[in-house]
Amino acid sequence: MDLFTAMNTSSSALTAERTRMNLISSNLANVNTTRTPEGGPYKRKDAVFMATPVSDGFGKALDGVAGKHLRQVAVSEIVEDKSPPRMQYDPSHPDADPQGYVAMPNVNVVEEMADMITATRVYEANVMTAQAAKNMALKTLEISK
Amino acid sequence: MPVEGLFNTTIDLLGKSVDLRTRNQNLISSNIANAETPGYTPKKLEFEQQLQSAVKKSSNRGMHSAGSSATTHPAHIPLRGGGAERISQVRGTVVETPAKTPGRDGNSVEMENEMSNMMQNQVLFNASVQLLAKKFEGLRTALREGK
Repeated sequence: MDLFTAMNTSSSALTAERTRMNLISSNLANVNTTRTPEGGPYKRKDAVFMATPVSDGFGKALDGVAGKHLRQVAVSEIVEDKSPPRMQYDPSHPDADPQGYVAMPNVNVVEEMADMITATRVYEANVMTAQAAKNMALKTLEISK
Repeated sequence: MPVEGLFNTTIDLLGKSVDLRTRNQNLISSNIANAETPGYTPKKLEFEQQLQSAVKKSSNRGMHSAGSSATTHPAHIPLRGGGAERISQVRGTVVETPAKTPGRDGNSVEMENEMSNMMQNQVLFNASVQLLAKKFEGLRTALREGK
């Protein structure tokens, strides 16, 4: 366990948040998509985060009490939102049902925007953490100056 | 051991402090990484008390054993006297620090808290490193006969 562990932990979060950001932009891009390869309208997608123990092979035995509590983060699965599609009245639409309603994706633009802000902020926080770890590691080099 | 006189308890103490602050930093980054993970509880490493009592114990021992320096003030760090083993044994305890109002997903990480903990940890880490560097600088000055 050294400061590179802190950097690796931050980078695992950066990867996870990037995945989430990709899903958010996919949701926003498909906010009006009525046709998908699976059939039916596009369904909102979300990433499920999971805390995973830091795997560090040899160093693990030397980590002691604090090492056992360290958790990186990983995307455990990507789930589809099961909520019903938004029904929009548009009889001229080619995908409209006999009553004139079109099944639109269950994506809420406001919700996605709010998610995007949290993803950005958490990403920034993790960049800060990685920088802090880097500065600490560089500071130790000053001992031998 | 003559080396003990050269590298005294303060250096052991500062070295241990740097080590434990590194471990604490790892826990803090683990908390920030899991800021969005459902059910995650933040943790931190507490060691200040343990480290202080390790220093105190070594200072008590220093007074009784012959040949080692006794401290004349409770805040003094003993020059030597077997404190090194005690200090190196300090490992700290991991405590959970959940927020008072966890989110609906059971995650109790408070970003403001984590950020301020990280800053504090970093400042204290830098302070220890700087003192350690100054200690060695002092030794070097002595070795060069003050030149």
